[in-house]
Amino acid sequence: MKKVFAIALVLCMLMGATAAVAEKLTVSAWDANFNIPALEAAAADYKANVDPDFELEINTVSGSSDVENDMTTAGSSGDYSNLSDIVLFQDHYIQRYVADYPDAWVSLEGADINWDDFGAEKLSYSTINGVHYGVPVDNGTAIFAYRVDLLQECGYTIEDVTGITWERFIEIGEDVYAKTGKYMLSMDGSGNDLPYMMLQAEGLSQFKDGEPFITQNEAMVKIISLLVEMQQKNILYLANDWTGYTDQTIMGDQVAGVMNGNWIIPTIEQVAENSGKWEITTMPTLTGAEGYAANGGSSLYITANCKNPDLAKKFLAYTFGGSTETYDNALRNGGVITCCISAGQSDVYQEGVDFFNGQAIYSKIVEMGSHVPIVEQNDYHYTCRQYIGAAIQEILMGSDVETALQNAEDQLRFAMGL
Amino acid sequence: MKQKNKGGVQARQQAAGWAFLTPATLLIFLMSFYPMVQAFITSLKTGSSANLQWAEPLFNNYSRMFQDRMFKTAMGNTFLYLIIQVPIMLVLAILLAQLLNNKDLKFRGLFRTMIFLPCATALVSYAIIFKTLFATQGLINSWLVGIGIVKENINWLGQPGTAKAVIIIALLWRWTGYNMVFFLAGLQNIDYSVYEAANIDGASGWQTFWSITVPLLKPVIVMTGIMSINGTLQLFDESVNLTNGGPANTTITMSHYIYNNSLGQGVANFGYASALAFVVFILVAVLAWINMKVGDTRD
Amino acid sequence: MTDKRQDKSLSHIQRKLIPSYIFLIIVSIISVFPLYWMATAATNTTVEVARGKIWFGTNLMENYKNLIAQQNLWQSMWNSFFYAIVQTVLCLLICSLAGYGFELYHDKHKDRLFGVLLLAMMVPQVATLIPLFTMISKLKLLNTVWAFIIPSISTPFMIMMFRQNSRNFPVALLEAARIDGETEFNIFFKMYMPIMKSTYAAAAVITFMNAWNSYMWPRTVMKGNAVQTMPMLIANLSNGYAVDYGMLMLGVLFCSLPTIIIFFVLQKQFAEGITGAVK
Repeated sequence: MKKVFAIALVLCMLMGATAAVAEKLTVSAWDANFNIPALEAAAADYKANVDPDFELEINTVSGSSDVENDMTTAGSSGDYSNLSDIVLFQDHYIQRYVADYPDAWVSLEGADINWDDFGAEKLSYSTINGVHYGVPVDNGTAIFAYRVDLLQECGYTIEDVTGITWERFIEIGEDVYAKTGKYMLSMDGSGNDLPYMMLQAEGLSQFKDGEPFITQNEAMVKIISLLVEMQQKNILYLANDWTGYTDQTIMGDQVAGVMNGNWIIPTIEQVAENSGKWEITTMPTLTGAEGYAANGGSSLYITANCKNPDLAKKFLAYTFGGSTETYDNALRNGGVITCCISAGQSDVYQEGVDFFNGQAIYSKIVEMGSHVPIVEQNDYHYTCRQYIGAAIQEILMGSDVETALQNAEDQLRFAMGL
Repeated sequence: MKQKNKGGVQARQQAAGWAFLTPATLLIFLMSFYPMVQAFITSLKTGSSANLQWAEPLFNNYSRMFQDRMFKTAMGNTFLYLIIQVPIMLVLAILLAQLLNNKDLKFRGLFRTMIFLPCATALVSYAIIFKTLFATQGLINSWLVGIGIVKENINWLGQPGTAKAVIIIALLWRWTGYNMVFFLAGLQNIDYSVYEAANIDGASGWQTFWSITVPLLKPVIVMTGIMSINGTLQLFDESVNLTNGGPANTTITMSHYIYNNSLGQGVANFGYASALAFVVFILVAVLAWINMKVGDTRD
Repeated sequence: MTDKRQDKSLSHIQRKLIPSYIFLIIVSIISVFPLYWMATAATNTTVEVARGKIWFGTNLMENYKNLIAQQNLWQSMWNSFFYAIVQTVLCLLICSLAGYGFELYHDKHKDRLFGVLLLAMMVPQVATLIPLFTMISKLKLLNTVWAFIIPSISTPFMIMMFRQNSRNFPVALLEAARIDGETEFNIFFKMYMPIMKSTYAAAAVITFMNAWNSYMWPRTVMKGNAVQTMPMLIANLSNGYAVDYGMLMLGVLFCSLPTIIIFFVLQKQFAEGITGAVK
């Protein structure tokens, strides 16, 4: 009975199945306003300059978690047939996924790519045991964007907020809030983008030797205390969630400063009336040195389901491996900034951006990206961030810093099975 | 009805009876019970999803729960939603059904449709709607401030208490009408003469409701009760889409926590997730059983 | 009762009902408001939506253009319809057969089996996701309509509904047909199905609604924008670094309309069908 049932179903399935074309690749990616235009630019570039028969089918998904779930279900069941040839994958998770499902990926060995042309921090994610698996797409380099008009109103320039300590930042921030009513910084309270970036700018991580590094991490404790102080002094606004962060604080024009991965720029640009009033610079640090960090970002990986891995390698190497045409159009159409150093020297990158007061922000970001320190990564990266975010909330609800961080560390250790 | 039939006919009817329910039964065994057995086996294992090993000791994933603070929070939240939301919803649904069951009421069809509409909205969309309405700068706040009930905007989704309240309100909004339809159907089965008799006896509206309507509705109450308990204990979408479990994981539900352990955060801890799921399964089954038994004994 | 008396008592009754009307109107407004808001949002720009405008705007066509430029709206609508209809037809057939079998041929064993099947209602979806995916992938059914529907063709709730409603099926008819020599299957298809049509309507509304709105499972087994459903399309719209609310709400509107229309059209039969279920 079961067999007959299965055969009947297989027959029905065969009638509905579609055949694959040789010169065609499929790719799964998210964000129709960001990564998708970059992929479209690459496909057009390859089609125009290498192979007119080439076709790239883009499968839009709702977010990075969709691709992760696809890999998990495919890896757990051992059936890769439902994967796209190429997937866009979050940097922070790739190490674990390659370790867990080594058969699900195809390495980039033999691909014609000059790896020295990419920022080392970015490549540290996609390189596993010295083997390259991913081609970087975007660049997660953190920027600190300030409303220079508001700074000026309070008697400061962009130089005054560059290379300063967080204490000095707080002084300026208090002044700015008092005079303009705008917050210098905002964050979504459920994530913890800020502490992660601030820690990385110190060259530190939330992990040390594979274990959580929170309560013993003086810089971490200091940073959390600073953030709480900023919140209490109306320098930092904590939104409830991501949309609250982007829609209320940034698009709602409540802030004089935005610090995040540079992919936040299109969100800042949504408020057209503030054009020309923004500029970007590096982050403050605990010591007063210029701070560099990266947040978010993803790379393209070839899966085991790819029928034509040579074509996939050729395509990736030609386009995201360093084609200025691809990267220029990716920047124009999607605001995707390369972390390929030579591609970042094209004319498009040198152009001043009106919205940012004529500053050539793109080349600056590519340059900043080369300074980002490599810090220890862990599979529990986002779990940790979630617990740190929860700890900040607990402190603001009345818990003391030590207890809240201890809670976070305990729960994280529990989740990690330590 | 069958004593007089001859043996052969009876056997054929018996066979037909089994034939009728075989496809459905097979499918349920294959699509629900078999995966559940597999989930149970997985719950005895540990390690990342690609490399599962038998746990040491075998029930480690189960004993581990007792040290898991998040598990306790999630459990507490889930039961809180259950205890507050389900009774309010069912009472409200009965009340609405009672009002709509009045023959003299005009526009009954229109009212019925409007109140039912929320459950026809797609899940993803209703979460977005509620999040926007209850945003700090959202419509609800501007009304409340406008009427003067509150002085300044409330950060509904940013505080544990109010965030839970929003989840409960959202659930009430979406499911009250759905349950009402079942009660309305139940009420329409009650002969109108029963009420007329009660009226003649001089019973008050409240007395009539308690002594006549509620007992007659008992089967519906049991059915909607089981559906609601099951739905609430498996509550997932609201927790994920409305609050994402926050702030500080104070509104997370069991199903959401299970999801985070399996697919949610890139940490595929299937062993532990399956163990959690199994506990939920047993809880729901026990509660449903109690519900049915309570329903029976009042006969 | 004379007409005159009725008139008098009517107005009296209507006056007594005023509190009921007020209460029902308030509840109806609360029920419909979020949907109204969704409809207005679909006609506004994202900034207008974010700033809480609750009146219709002029951006509807713009939102529509953006939506079809970014997503394959009509393909997704068609997919959702196709999957939901196939699922509804099969689910109704399989579950009504079972409900009929459980009620009209019931004995001790079948009642017990039914009790066991009810347990399946409580199986958490998150737990069975991976085993089910493995099974579907082994059957080579990923990305087909079968992957979408198989786990929900047979549901305890639907079987229960048909089982309850089958109590209304007149046994005398069944006996008569048997004496006339009709086969058991013919009785089901020729007599039971027509007589129970309102039960089928109610079951169809519920099944269609569930199929149309299901998200997590389809998301796992349906890959690619060619096979995606409306809830998947909406999820694609609502995630990203910046969300266009006007466009999103238009998508949500498209996604909600079919279920609303189906309820409107079938509501009379729906109420009748449910009535049988709760006897």
